[in-house]
Amino acid sequence: MPISPTNSRKQPNLSPNNASLLPRRSISFNATGKTPVKGYIGANQSKMAASRNILILPEMKSAEKMNVPIIKTTQVFDINGVDVTPRPLYCPDPHVGTAKPSKLLSSQEGSHGSEFISSYSLYQNTMNPSMLGQFTRSVLGSSTISKSSISTTESIAEDFEEPSFKRERLSSLTDLRVMRAVPETTITKEDLEKNIEIILTESEMLQLLDLPTVMISVESEEVEKVIQRNKNYEILCKNRAGNDLYVERMMQTFNGAPKNKDVQCDKIVTEDKGMMATTWDLFDSYNALESLSAKQSSVKSGSKANVRPKDRDQRLTGSNMEKNSEASSLMDIENVILSKIHDDEEDHSDAILKSDKFHQDLFFMERVLMENIFQPKLAAYRQLPILRELEPEEPKDVSEGEKLEELEEEVKKEEGEEVEIDEEQATIPANLERLWSFSCDLTKGLNVSSLAWNKANPDLLAVGYGHFGFREQKRGLACCWSLKNPMWPERIYQSPYGVTAVDFSIGTPNLLAVGYHNGTIAIYNVQSNNNVPILDSSESPRKHLGPVWQLQWIEQDRGTTGDDKREILVSISADGRISKWVIRKGLDCHDLMRLRRTTGGVNKKGGEKEKKGEALISRQAPGMCFAFHPKDTNIYLAGTEEGHIHKCSCSYNEQYLETYRGHKGPVYKVTWNPFCHDVFLSCSADWGVMIWHQENLKPFLSFYPTTYVVYDVAWSPKSSYIFATANESRVEIWDLHISTLDPLIVNVANPGIKFTTILFAKQTDCLLVGDSDGQVAVYELRNMPTALDSGRGDIINTLLGPKSNQPG
Amino acid sequence: MVEETLQRLQSQKGVQGIIVVNTEGIPIKSTMENSTTTQYANLMHNFILKARSTVREIDPQNDLTFLQIHSKKDEFMVAPDKVYFLIVIQNPTE
Repeated sequence: MPISPTNSRKQPNLSPNNASLLPRRSISFNATGKTPVKGYIGANQSKMAASRNILILPEMKSAEKMNVPIIKTTQVFDINGVDVTPRPLYCPDPHVGTAKPSKLLSSQEGSHGSEFISSYSLYQNTMNPSMLGQFTRSVLGSSTISKSSISTTESIAEDFEEPSFKRERLSSLTDLRVMRAVPETTITKEDLEKNIEIILTESEMLQLLDLPTVMISVESEEVEKVIQRNKNYEILCKNRAGNDLYVERMMQTFNGAPKNKDVQCDKIVTEDKGMMATTWDLFDSYNALESLSAKQSSVKSGSKANVRPKDRDQRLTGSNMEKNSEASSLMDIENVILSKIHDDEEDHSDAILKSDKFHQDLFFMERVLMENIFQPKLAAYRQLPILRELEPEEPKDVSEGEKLEELEEEVKKEEGEEVEIDEEQATIPANLERLWSFSCDLTKGLNVSSLAWNKANPDLLAVGYGHFGFREQKRGLACCWSLKNPMWPERIYQSPYGVTAVDFSIGTPNLLAVGYHNGTIAIYNVQSNNNVPILDSSESPRKHLGPVWQLQWIEQDRGTTGDDKREILVSISADGRISKWVIRKGLDCHDLMRLRRTTGGVNKKGGEKEKKGEALISRQAPGMCFAFHPKDTNIYLAGTEEGHIHKCSCSYNEQYLETYRGHKGPVYKVTWNPFCHDVFLSCSADWGVMIWHQENLKPFLSFYPTTYVVYDVAWSPKSSYIFATANESRVEIWDLHISTLDPLIVNVANPGIKFTTILFAKQTDCLLVGDSDGQVAVYELRNMPTALDSGRGDIINTLLGPKSNQPG
Repeated sequence: MVEETLQRLQSQKGVQGIIVVNTEGIPIKSTMENSTTTQYANLMHNFILKARSTVREIDPQNDLTFLQIHSKKDEFMVAPDKVYFLIVIQNPTE
């Protein structure tokens, strides 16, 4: 509707001029004609409009039907003689009264502005009130009137502006009228339910603004007229000054008092919320949505011991679990405080501490800590470069010259040392450097009886703790140590009896066989945390009756039966039996050999034939150790307490193939040379270490370095000339290539500690030594003479020839 | 069992403290005094979350398994998990 805009637009223009119009209006009731006034000059627009207004009114009214009794003093007739007197807005007739107020209301509710309404009412005050009703109708209907009346509507709009200046004076009346109109409206139910048809039609185009051009082309047709007109205007302007036709008058207007109105609203709390759309956030949300649909029931009912309620809710809604990607400016202090004192918090923290993941993390953390502590040692073990902790460097700029020189000297010295080492290897002898030792509180005071590497994991070591002698028997312990944690064993298997032998299986590397002092053999699965052996031979009827001195898993060719290599566990014990254990339904044993005592009379009598020393009934000789031939797993050596070493075969369980006599005391260890398969080494309680060739019944080298019992001896896996021995007081490394009389390296034990077991590490130059105090020390062999590539197998030739000390 | 392990860890050479914090950054278990604990927990918390965010941003299927900050004087080792962080402070040269 164009009327409102024009209202607002033209109002300021019109109001100053309105004052003069008032008197005119009241007397200009005459239906003089209906010619729309056009072409008025802009300055007195409103004046003309006023007159025009009245003129138009009758015109309008002609279209209207008048059904209201007219109570007025003056009567207005249009040219046709129809009574078009304006009627009062308020009529005593209630029925009619409703109609008009409804009109008023409808006009109110229409798109007309409030100004319009007030102007309506104002207008009626100035004019006859009855006019207004028709007026409204006319205005309403004016929109549908043809184009010719567009200007009239505009002028009507202007017109309505006029009485606006009177608003203040009559505003109270206006208000009254408006308000009174409201309660009289009764809308019946029928009215409500009545379907009201609203017809929407497109209104014709209303021109709101038309700015005609003030310039025309010189070539157009009207040029002459325009030029003439311009000239006339110029003349007019010149004549204006002093001309009686033009009078200037001034006017003062009233300025309405402005009114300020303040409004206060509640403080609007703003919260800034920031969110970073991270890739993983999106990923998590998608995943959560997917899993949500799959596991809705289980999530709700499942154990939430480890999950805080907040987190759970967040997960359920599929939103991000990590709140860090959200940034909120509102400090939710309450929540934080609440969460601190929340009761659930304690439960959850306990749950966290007890969870498996926490254990695992602690486990890893321990290892990392160990790595930090032992880094240099472990690096040396693994032959990695050692990270040296940077010494806090003093500011060089202070005393540059001196410091730099010193540093340089140090560097040179180190380099010099290394150079020296390279050039003259003999200057710094080979030595054992102690890296660390596996020990903890549990193992303190126990005697290390056996060591064994895991076949699959080269970092895993099994250590058996138990005393050798009968009188010193205490509780026993078998531990699995990992290189990654030298301070606490990975597995601890306790038992009331001392452990005398341990070995890891080859085929199933997680099985550990443990032999006890009371003859039982137990098999543990180290993968599980369980401390109970999976197999035990204590109920077997054919278990050993004496301490199991050695255990070994052997992969044997079952050539005869055509089966693949099967693994068997072989044990030797003090009851004189070498048994083979098979895991079927439990441990089942089968004797490979019964060690019989042989008389010692053969040696003394020289060439005499052996008596039939194998008496039909003879005593058993306690077996102390055995060693299977590396190539032919049918052949093995067994050392006995008598001092004899027997070569036996699995095929014969009654007789020995050979007997090697040399030792005077129990043979504690016998071991084949890993490179030269005819040579083996033995050590015994008679302080001696002997090297044998399997063809020869007499040792071809024997060593008596000390007057202490040699508990253990082992060949080096790297060179065929090097072996290590552990006797009570020291560890010796022998290199036969260099000398057969003296050991290469001697490492003396602390007083009170005996070295009891020895084991080489396979990939590195390290040696493990177990002692009687429960410690397994790891030594690194440094500056060892480089092994000769050639001659690994020629050890016999080189040794036998010039250096052999075998008799005849 | 947990207590034992924690004890062992604490008694290792150079270990200054062990803190377990939950996802909010509030320490639930600590072997150090309160003020230092809160300080460490608050500072490490943000850092850990940032580190995890970085790792996962590159590949959302990846996740942070361990974090070690080696400084001149100390070393902070963090084992992060979905519901907690295990922080160990060690001074290896001690």
